[in-house]
Amino acid sequence: MKKVLLSVLAVAAVAAGGAFFTGCGGKGDGGERKREITVISREESSGTRGAFDELMHITDGKTNQLYPGAVIVSSTDEAASKVEVDKFAIGYTSLGSITDKVKALTIDGVVPSEANVKNGSYKIARPFVLAERGNANLPIADDFMVFVTSKQGQEIVDKAGYITVDANADYAAPAGLSGKLTLAGSTSVERVIERLKEAYEVLNPGVKVEINYNGSSAGIRDCVNGRSDLAMSSRELKAEEKEQLKSATFALDGIAVVVNQVNTISGISAETVTKIFKGEVRYWADVQ
Amino acid sequence: MTNEMKEIREKGAEYFFLLCSLVSIGAVLLICYFIFSGAYPALRDIGVWAFLTGDLWKPTDVPPSFGIFNMIAGSVYVTAGACIFGVPVGVFAAVYMAKYCPRSIYPVASQLVSLLAGIPSIIYGFFGMMLIVPFIQEYFAGNGNSVLAASIVLGVMILPTVIKVSEVSIRAVPKSYFEGALALGATKEQSIFFVGIPAAKSGILAGVILGIGRAIGETMAVVMVAGNSNILPDSIFKSVRTLTANIVLEMGYAAGSHYDAIVATGAVLFVFILILNIILNIINRGAQTSGGLS
Repeated sequence: MKKVLLSVLAVAAVAAGGAFFTGCGGKGDGGERKREITVISREESSGTRGAFDELMHITDGKTNQLYPGAVIVSSTDEAASKVEVDKFAIGYTSLGSITDKVKALTIDGVVPSEANVKNGSYKIARPFVLAERGNANLPIADDFMVFVTSKQGQEIVDKAGYITVDANADYAAPAGLSGKLTLAGSTSVERVIERLKEAYEVLNPGVKVEINYNGSSAGIRDCVNGRSDLAMSSRELKAEEKEQLKSATFALDGIAVVVNQVNTISGISAETVTKIFKGEVRYWADVQ
Repeated sequence: MTNEMKEIREKGAEYFFLLCSLVSIGAVLLICYFIFSGAYPALRDIGVWAFLTGDLWKPTDVPPSFGIFNMIAGSVYVTAGACIFGVPVGVFAAVYMAKYCPRSIYPVASQLVSLLAGIPSIIYGFFGMMLIVPFIQEYFAGNGNSVLAASIVLGVMILPTVIKVSEVSIRAVPKSYFEGALALGATKEQSIFFVGIPAAKSGILAGVILGIGRAIGETMAVVMVAGNSNILPDSIFKSVRTLTANIVLEMGYAAGSHYDAIVATGAVLFVFILILNIILNIINRGAQTSGGLS
């Protein structure tokens, strides 16, 4: 019995070693193989992926058609690291977190930049939205919505590395505002909303802001049900959500399509990006 | 101090120790309850069979599909792969440590093996992602995020468990067994491989099963090198998603039936670990009753 087990293990070890060496040998005389594109996406429930899939028509709202062999990573940083080490990779990350270790592609000739997101020419962008029940009558929530879109609020958005929207008037804290404000929703907005919260609490010492990060859809549901005062969303509200909530966009975040530094391509069409992520185009040679 | 007071103190200490052990037992029972009660709604709605054998995992589709067959297969693949890499190396390393290692080297080697056990799994993952994945892409097929990469990383991760447990059980074989073999004309190698290892086999097997337990439960390192595609890999160079990866990737955002399905994934993993523990118990009991050579 022991002998059998040992010999099986020995065979396995030899086979593994054999595969190793033939693999090494095959590379030299086989020449450059036709390399498949490594498609890198995020987990199904990521807010960034939700926005990307929708903007690039990888989902029709019902069925997600992402290439099944795509590599799935769990964070924006990990997506960047994978692209950094893989010469054949394509992925997407938040525009704010792009480093010079990866190459951001132009889409249909448009450079992914803050300016181009703001003027609407770069299409792969998503809004950060705050929403409130239409009939809520919550003075603090109303005031917070005014604050985030004011000049002071937008300065904070800019400092946090996101793209501002056109600022409204100066914000002046109303006298004697006190109580508690509860927010729920997207994890993606955390970096900017935490700063807005701090500044707001300084301006309104009587107000305590509590934030719960449970994802855009869950946050909107909480707001509709009255479990929280405001919802934070990192995607556009859907039509039926807009009927129930009044909303304001307070920042924009571009999503950049990134490839490895050694990739010779510097621009790509939106249509090709869609085809790559759906698995219809599988080789870099087929990308013009 | 009167006798009475002594007795009270004795009793007090006894209850304190009882309480401490109840905490750990309570934790296990609570986890069991939480996992299985949480998994029940998903298993009821989806159906146990459909959940276990379905090969579509599309939690955000309308209507959603929850099937974890590919992930069960994925967990089994990478664990088997880890054994192919880790067990032979681990057992032979244990033989070296127990029977060949010079006294001057032993403390260093032993310390280093312990250190291997102490390295956080995210470091293994990083090592795999930066070295093994690009290596496989460069010299083999596919993009490197693969069953093979996960197997190699896990193979290294289970080494300390396999080595330590195997070494202890090889050392526990009575010296007279080896001496008897040598007296019958066996070489040192023969005495180790035909007398020592068979005598230590239940201990070695226990080490291997503990290693399997570690491999099947490992999360971070696997997520970083396996690719996590929800496909049934048809080669070791294809990407794969394990049960643990499925949980950690989607837990943060999941809500409603998606959340329940992820808890149910955890329940399936829990059952795997329970089965491994039962096997381990059977082996240990077998070792106690038969004892020594068999």
